[in-house]
Amino acid sequence: MTALPRPTGRAKNLVLFLVLSAGIATGITIFSSASTIVDWVETATSGLFLPVLLSLIVTFLLDPLVQFFERTQISRTTSIFAVYAIFLILFITLLTLIGPPNWRSMLDALQADFPRYISRVLEYLNSLLASVHNQFPYLENYDISGKVRQWAQGFLGIILLETPRSAMRIGSLFLLVPLFSFFFLRDSRRIMRNLISLTPNRYFEMVLDIYDHVSWQLANFIRGRILEAMLIGLVVWFGLSLTDIRYAPLLGVIAGVTNLVPYIGPIVGMVPGLVIALVDLGVGPQFWWIFCVYLLIAQVILDNFILIPILISRVSNLHPLWVILAIVMGGKLYGVLGMIIGVPIASVIKIAILEIRHYRSSFNSAREILTNHHD
Amino acid sequence: MNPLWSNIFRKPGYEGTLAYFLGTVPTFANLGRRDLSFLETLVHIRNYNPGETVFSEGDIGSGMYIIRSGKIRIEMKDEQGQDQIQADLETGDFFGEIALTTPRRRIATATATEQTVLVGLFRADVLDAIRKHPAIASKILLGLTRVLSERLQHAGLRLREQSYAHLDSGNEDQP
Repeated sequence: MTALPRPTGRAKNLVLFLVLSAGIATGITIFSSASTIVDWVETATSGLFLPVLLSLIVTFLLDPLVQFFERTQISRTTSIFAVYAIFLILFITLLTLIGPPNWRSMLDALQADFPRYISRVLEYLNSLLASVHNQFPYLENYDISGKVRQWAQGFLGIILLETPRSAMRIGSLFLLVPLFSFFFLRDSRRIMRNLISLTPNRYFEMVLDIYDHVSWQLANFIRGRILEAMLIGLVVWFGLSLTDIRYAPLLGVIAGVTNLVPYIGPIVGMVPGLVIALVDLGVGPQFWWIFCVYLLIAQVILDNFILIPILISRVSNLHPLWVILAIVMGGKLYGVLGMIIGVPIASVIKIAILEIRHYRSSFNSAREILTNHHD
Repeated sequence: MNPLWSNIFRKPGYEGTLAYFLGTVPTFANLGRRDLSFLETLVHIRNYNPGETVFSEGDIGSGMYIIRSGKIRIEMKDEQGQDQIQADLETGDFFGEIALTTPRRRIATATATEQTVLVGLFRADVLDAIRKHPAIASKILLGLTRVLSERLQHAGLRLREQSYAHLDSGNEDQP
């Protein structure tokens, strides 16, 4: 070591400079290559998010049925085929009984009606704004109706542009979702077992136990949420079809899907139905009935008194602040779809954390009992 | 025949499979071939290096282990806190079966003394099997109960022998 000459000041600076620039260059390379890889992954999986999500939902819903068949000594693959066959037969009989829904005319009618509804909303907003302006003249004139009109035009444009493309996508969903869910149903157990078997020996038993608890809770939660949304949608559809309102099936779907978001979802889901009712039917007994269907029957009686106590455990209740954060973050990541599934995913994370904490606390208390016992 | 093809079409003997091995374990001796191949999907295969701990005294246990190959040493702490070797287990032996029924702490430490392959059967998987395949699961549990009750009876007999021996020695001291 002593043979090496001491580096002079200049040499030191040079070495420092070289090391620093090499470090920065490596950092930039890694960062840029990482971001390219992320880009690739994003492009490759961009179309897969919706089909995978739907397949997971289908998997969670069908799993109990498959298990029911499996209990009668039929192999799992055969049971899955049996369940698929039953659903296919049900679907075909429904189609032959009712006839295929006339999506085309419904879409055309909606395209014609949408601007009408928006213009009525704008009129109402304008009058409201005018009265506000009369009462508080010192407020600056905010062009809210202009904003809404712009947004609505953009939205309509997207619908017109995306309809052929989304028809293609829906077609591919009909192919992909059954295929994906078939493999999820058949192999999910094996996939999860292989993943768990990667844990080191020391933690293996703990991880297996926690996974067992969490997966059971999660399956119940997700199944409960999906059933809740479906029942709410059906009730709203049925309740609205008693009146003269148009687009009752579509409004039912909207109400069901938005119901996945607590607190805010039901209110947002109500708005389109109430606007259509106001514009088409005016304020009258029918409007109040529709209002009752949304608020009293679907939300208060069905959801709060019947479905939530039966289907959803109190554990999964989120603080309103978390709900808002989940909606905002989900919206940033995946748009409207992200807003809807953000809250269920946040609940899922909460359940997982609670279960792990519960397991750890029982683990620790057992340790304490043991050490006390030895003392 | 081309050696490549004979390799591809060679079927492994049933004796080499995990299912056959499980059938040789006394706990699962009464299970049929079909039940054993189901049991094969329930168990986990774990590899241990020499000196690696399988579980320590006081851990929350959640299942039993069967030794597929290698050796396991079971140790317990005595009053002075010194490790006392309780048993050296070999291929085909099983341990930790008490934890399969309820979550409870391990009363001994198990360590691999050489390169060891263990077959683990855990409570989570057994409960799952009870929900999905009650018939086979009850056969598995019945086998386990049989072995445990045999062991209990054995322990009871030994305890009685010991207490008699104690009484005899007490009588000798008295006269």
